[in-house]
Amino acid sequence: MSVVSIESLVVRYGSFTALDGLSCEVPEGCTGLLGPNGAGKTTLLKTMLGFVQPTSGRATVLGMDIRTKGREIRQAIGLMPEQDCHIPGMSAVQFVTYAGELAGMPSDQALRRAHEVIEYCGLGEARYRNVETFSTGMKQRIKLAQALVHGPKLLLLDEPTNGLDPAGREDMLQLVQSVSHGKGVNVLVSSHLLPDIERVCDRVILVMRGKLQAAGTIKDLKKIEGHPIDVEVKETSGAFVNALMEKGFSVQPPKGTTYRVEGPGRPEEVNKTVFKVAKDTGTQIRGLIIAERSLEEAFLEAIKE
Amino acid sequence: MIQIQNVSRWYGQVIGVNDVTAEIGPGLTAMLGMNGAGKSTLMRLITGQLLPTTGSVKVFGMEPFANPEVFKRVGYCPEIDNFYEHYTGREFVHFLGRLSGLTNAEAKSRTEEVLVEVGMADRAHKKIAGYSKGMRQRIKLAQAMIAQPDIILLDEPLNGLDPVGRRELMDVLGKLSNEGKTIIVSSHILFEVEQMTRSILLMHRGRLLARGDLRDIRALIDRHPHKVRVETNNPRRLASELANLTNIVSMNFERGDRGLALQVQEPDAFYTALMDIALTTDIEIGGFFSPDNNLESVFNYLVHS
Amino acid sequence: MSNPIADLSYRNYDGPLTSPQARWWSIARQSISQGIKKKFFVTLSLLSASFYFVLLIVFYFVEVLNPAQAPGDKNPLLSMIKWNEQFLNAFSTSQLWLLLLALLIGSGSIANDNRANALLVYLSKPCTKLDYLIGKWVGIFIPLAVVTAIPTFLFYFYCLMSYREYGFLSQDPWLIVRLVFMIILPAAFHASVAMGISSLFNQGRIAGAVYAAIYFMTLFFTKFMQVAWIFSFRKGGSESSGSQFVANLYYMSVDGLQIGLAKHVLGTRGGLMFPGQGMSGQMRPRTGKGLGGANAPPQMNPAELIPTYGSLWLLTAVYLGCCGLALFVAWRRVRAVEVIGG
Repeated sequence: MSVVSIESLVVRYGSFTALDGLSCEVPEGCTGLLGPNGAGKTTLLKTMLGFVQPTSGRATVLGMDIRTKGREIRQAIGLMPEQDCHIPGMSAVQFVTYAGELAGMPSDQALRRAHEVIEYCGLGEARYRNVETFSTGMKQRIKLAQALVHGPKLLLLDEPTNGLDPAGREDMLQLVQSVSHGKGVNVLVSSHLLPDIERVCDRVILVMRGKLQAAGTIKDLKKIEGHPIDVEVKETSGAFVNALMEKGFSVQPPKGTTYRVEGPGRPEEVNKTVFKVAKDTGTQIRGLIIAERSLEEAFLEAIKE
Repeated sequence: MIQIQNVSRWYGQVIGVNDVTAEIGPGLTAMLGMNGAGKSTLMRLITGQLLPTTGSVKVFGMEPFANPEVFKRVGYCPEIDNFYEHYTGREFVHFLGRLSGLTNAEAKSRTEEVLVEVGMADRAHKKIAGYSKGMRQRIKLAQAMIAQPDIILLDEPLNGLDPVGRRELMDVLGKLSNEGKTIIVSSHILFEVEQMTRSILLMHRGRLLARGDLRDIRALIDRHPHKVRVETNNPRRLASELANLTNIVSMNFERGDRGLALQVQEPDAFYTALMDIALTTDIEIGGFFSPDNNLESVFNYLVHS
Repeated sequence: MSNPIADLSYRNYDGPLTSPQARWWSIARQSISQGIKKKFFVTLSLLSASFYFVLLIVFYFVEVLNPAQAPGDKNPLLSMIKWNEQFLNAFSTSQLWLLLLALLIGSGSIANDNRANALLVYLSKPCTKLDYLIGKWVGIFIPLAVVTAIPTFLFYFYCLMSYREYGFLSQDPWLIVRLVFMIILPAAFHASVAMGISSLFNQGRIAGAVYAAIYFMTLFFTKFMQVAWIFSFRKGGSESSGSQFVANLYYMSVDGLQIGLAKHVLGTRGGLMFPGQGMSGQMRPRTGKGLGGANAPPQMNPAELIPTYGSLWLLTAVYLGCCGLALFVAWRRVRAVEVIGG
């Protein structure tokens, strides 16, 4: 069951074609939306919100057609925009309550729910303070709160960790993860920070030049053919490399102190061989894991095509 | 090249930097810290925009404050986004090149070179008002590099760039640092900083918390023993084999009995023992790695202890 | 078999949601409640009703100091009052305060949202640009209308009960309808223009300053026109074409538009409260005060110091034109498509 279904969507701004026959399905769960700048991600998000009238093609969000049901869609979606935005002159609670009312909640429900959501986003202490006095991290959280207040079934997050320091980033990612797993809220995260996406999402959609470039689970995208392993050593050692090559291994040049090696045999035997070679050459192994491409590498490769 | 001696700077009651002493030489140094830790203040002290309230800052042996000799050799790429919007990118970079003391001819040729390096050569003829965030970042970097300074300071330079842009920028910075220039990068995006350098300068609440090579620092954080995760088919047997080692602080069995999570005090002895066990017993070790051997963990340990 | 420890993690909201059509009322309600809470709202409201207080005091003194000659007889002074004119006077004295109120609640309406990028929040909910603009407009219109309406209707009913014998109802049975129009006109005008000007700026204060500047500059223009009127009146009387032209120009100010239209609506040319008495404490329409009765040349009746009528068509056209232009400006300035990034 897909949450967003897009078929051959073409969107033009004047003579500029932003989306060029894009077709994709956003499944349930947490999906990452990737793509280089100018690829059409922003246009795609605007289209999903029912703002942009496509030139041709069809799209449905949560089962509703974007051409006719823009308002209903926006009632069922929450958007956390990238830029700073708030309603001037309000405290956190007032702001989130108002956001709920705008989405159609009755006032008493909106107030109650606003408190709940603010608490969930970690702003409980600051809930009666004016939003204009908030720090960057708090502003990001309040944006998330106003997107969640009306209980949307689909959450669109645009660069959710923008401007956050490492602790704030960690908190935000945890929030996103907890809301997207097990609470029935589907999440679409658009970000340039691929490790964040890796952390939070299960699948990704890669958009390039207005078209769908790749889509799939993160696990699949990261898999490398064959069974290479990454061996991290305490200090690089030519002897180690040579000994491995003698046993029929292929060894790639080290990144820092990590070698990517591939050798014949079953994985367990391979490991044992590596250990033996290390002991024989006096090399201390500090890590041994199945090599995966990082999502960033997968991304860069996908773009090159 | 940069010598900071007991420098403090405060604004009324608010302290920006508190008694910081450090020396920064050629190569790429990462300046880290939470929001408000004093990174920007320290940068502005080095670039000569602020005068230290106490202590001394010396760049190339001279005080940088209002010192054109220093300004000529220092490039600064700030976080804020303030341009002359009606200039084209090319005009802006040229203008700042002239301000740095280049002659018209030099400025012209350097502008072209530097625009190619940051990847804006084909787009620099448009007015800045229409630039995306990524393009603005590149122009900022271009103006920092144009006079071929020996020291470049960059405040959140990767903000707003897509992964391709980030990689390109990191390559440019890597190249410059290999040429012997002193580059200081302040960023929150730790996994990227990690790829650029191991030399860090960590600020916390205005004070210098740590300075030096990441690995050395990690090794010194005794309070937080190294975590190691071992994937094995027989964790309990492995545990019993390892239990005799006195430097193992704790062992946790992972859910599903698929692995063993350990905390060890002296990693060297541990890794050697682990390899021995792998080679001498029939316990199969599928893989192992240290999840907290990265910058983010070190950062958290230092800042949140 | 319920868990004694409550699960306070995120819950979904599955409660009632009103239909996503017509969200403007939420926006209006919010604007109204924010506007009412502003510091000087109550003060300015009371000041805008000041003329009515003065009238009450005057009537009191009239009854006390100049009572009817014989019991059962009507008070001679009060019999002379044209009630429509009094409402007109009240209306025109309240113009300045109404403007200040409009500035207070209206000048920041869109300007502050521009600075805080609030449109992003509005449009990501089921609101359209139209909802937003209607909501903001109503949010300024209603407080202004209510502030004008309450004292007006209170006074109306008071007079209805106390002064029926002095021709209150008989002079003009349609008065109440006219009053409704009179209340709507300035509220609508200020709502439109304040909103339009507000949408042009990023700061409420600047938008307010601009509107105030327009108001006062057109007011000074009016003064010059008053001088011109005197001259043309002397030259050719009030019906000459030159005089007519000047008369029309006289009403071409923010202030003048309202008053001119009000004069038409109320069907009165404005005049002294107690004509023929020459009492110096009487209230004149504020705009006539400039020259003062004592300095008027002998052949001019004090009531004729100001051009009495501007052409109705011209006034209506300019009124609608200004409102329309302001609304159009607001419509264009509020850019809906830039919801995410750019």
